[in-house]
Amino acid sequence: MKFTTKQEELVSKLSIISRAVSTRAATQSLSGILLSASEDGVTLRATDLEMGLQTGLVSDVDGMGSVLLPGRLLAELTRSLGDAVVEIESREAERDVEIRSGGSSFHLRILPAEDFPNFPDEDDAPLRIPAPALASSIELVARAASRDDMRPVLTGVLVTAAGEEMTMVATDSYRLAVKRTELETGIGGELEANIPARALRELGRIVSTEQVADVSVSLLRNQAVFRAGAVVLNTRLIEGQFPNFQQLLPKSYEHDVRLPRAELLDVTRRVSQLAQRNAPLRLSFAPGELTVAASTPDVGDAEETMPAAFEGEPLEIGFNPDFFKEGIESVEGDELILRLISPLRPGLLQPVDNDDFRYLVMPIRLNV
Amino acid sequence: MDAFYASVELRRRPELRGKPVVVCGSGPRAVVTTASYEARKLAGIHSAMPAAVARRRLPDAVYLQPDFTVYRDASREVMAILHRNAETVEVVGLDEAYVDLTGLFSPKATMRRIAAEIREEAGLGCSVGISENRLLAKIASELGKPGRLAVLSRSDALERFAGDSPGLIPGIGPKTVIKLQRMGIRTLAALRARDPAALERAFGPRTGRWLHARSRFEDDTPLTVVREAKSQSAETTFDVDVSDSAQLTASLTSLAEELCRRLRSRQMEGRTIGIKVRLDDWTNVTRSQTVEQPTNDPAVVAPVALDLLRAYSPPRPVRLLGVRVAGFDRGAETADEPEEAQDQLQLTLSG
Repeated sequence: MKFTTKQEELVSKLSIISRAVSTRAATQSLSGILLSASEDGVTLRATDLEMGLQTGLVSDVDGMGSVLLPGRLLAELTRSLGDAVVEIESREAERDVEIRSGGSSFHLRILPAEDFPNFPDEDDAPLRIPAPALASSIELVARAASRDDMRPVLTGVLVTAAGEEMTMVATDSYRLAVKRTELETGIGGELEANIPARALRELGRIVSTEQVADVSVSLLRNQAVFRAGAVVLNTRLIEGQFPNFQQLLPKSYEHDVRLPRAELLDVTRRVSQLAQRNAPLRLSFAPGELTVAASTPDVGDAEETMPAAFEGEPLEIGFNPDFFKEGIESVEGDELILRLISPLRPGLLQPVDNDDFRYLVMPIRLNV
Repeated sequence: MDAFYASVELRRRPELRGKPVVVCGSGPRAVVTTASYEARKLAGIHSAMPAAVARRRLPDAVYLQPDFTVYRDASREVMAILHRNAETVEVVGLDEAYVDLTGLFSPKATMRRIAAEIREEAGLGCSVGISENRLLAKIASELGKPGRLAVLSRSDALERFAGDSPGLIPGIGPKTVIKLQRMGIRTLAALRARDPAALERAFGPRTGRWLHARSRFEDDTPLTVVREAKSQSAETTFDVDVSDSAQLTASLTSLAEELCRRLRSRQMEGRTIGIKVRLDDWTNVTRSQTVEQPTNDPAVVAPVALDLLRAYSPPRPVRLLGVRVAGFDRGAETADEPEEAQDQLQLTLSG
């Protein structure tokens, strides 16, 4: 195997692929990046079994073949190279790879590639999802997924799409985010899958850097393959029943409070600094105003009052500051609506003029 | 329990009775875990003394390696006797427990009976302190050591310990004693006489109030039957996300030291050592490893934590780093409970 490429190109492609390199390295081959040169050009691949990434590398191929190299080391040393051109050539006898750039040369031992997994094939006629809608839904919803491996079903985002409508849902049991999107074009089939949030976040990142119009999706038995331009991401699907989110959303609310989004976010960010060590953010509503307060024992406290279109009996409710802040960040528009029932029932954040995005958040019981 | 570990050893090796027995590790940094009363009397050997010092002072004593499996079993035997005799029992260590005697017609007789049962059934000696709150009961039990029962009322204590150092009070450590001395406070009577506001200024509102109450032997902590903690941890969120491994190493080392200090002050030792890493993309990763013997020694905890960090080698800048010790009284715990606010409500999820 022998090819020549630009250092800049190699660095940028390796930085995409590196994100699938296993950091736990249960099997040595999973800590590697597979470089394959063929008539079609050079391909880079990495997988940690949960998620795999593959992309092409712009290069001149002088000899075919493939080698598995230690991923982190390869990425780091490539970044450190001083010359614009990089030559990579495998040396069969030495069982290593020579990397030449400017005056420097490196020899990296190759990793055994026998147990490096095969990548799944894509469908001949994959589904197609418009890239901007996909990326923005992921950004709004994926953060609400659980990061607790003890409850695998909740570590995914339930993605359903049919015709010209797509819905994403995620919950970590403390909050729930639902985003419904009208697509400009039909996806060409039906999709329902619980996709690991980590893979979707990665996909979102790829979509926004690759500048593609749409993303193709191939659904296999227990895997999904996404293609965005030259980058292909495959991910294991999460099995098991996703919670019935419809029944988690309250049917009615006692208060619909319209609030200026930017101001609420600013106030929340400021006051949250004094809600440390699991201390709640305290929201006190009185006619015409909202007071946001926080207090951490031995550290200090903070409060700020802002005008709010609230009527009726005063109401006080506590939220996890991060959960509440992320909810506000996710709602688009100059204003938002905070819908409340009582201090121990969930609150809902949503846009003013539609309910395409809903962010339900469970309160923290306040000690009065 | 009196010289608990040493007494358990004597129970299974009766031939050592009457000889000075010291339970301690064998490493260069080992400290004495327990010394039998003979060893204490002969050479003033006490727990936490470096083992090397003990060996120098009393080379002829019998030195035994701690065997925590046996101590845990013995502890369970003793606690079972307490639970059989009393409704509210708070176990605070392998060898220490509080019993709520409220409403009993004859607390002294009850405790004498329980102590006798422990002696006969478990073959171990204990001291009993009876008083009106936890703090006084603890001090009274020290007065009773070894093997006796002491009753101490608050007015007795106020009179009896007026001239003693504030360090007599559990929870007032050497550093606080020195700080108090600098303020001219050398006795409990002097501490009592001091204006609480001055203490609050010097020590902060919480500790100040606490010191004032303690000096008057006031303590309204109720008995908690449920064990207070399954794990203890120390963590830090960096002001700026950190990728530099030297900085991560330094920070983890000092966290391990901080945690061990706290564990020691609470007399807790755990077998499971874990780390927690939060990356800049909010990925949380925890890793843990179980060691053979319960520990609160930074020389044990820090290297294990650093190994775990090296093995994981964070792929992205680190936002938060933490170290945790668990598995205090039972076998190894592996599952990490997510840390969250006590009263955070959850959605009721169904399929």
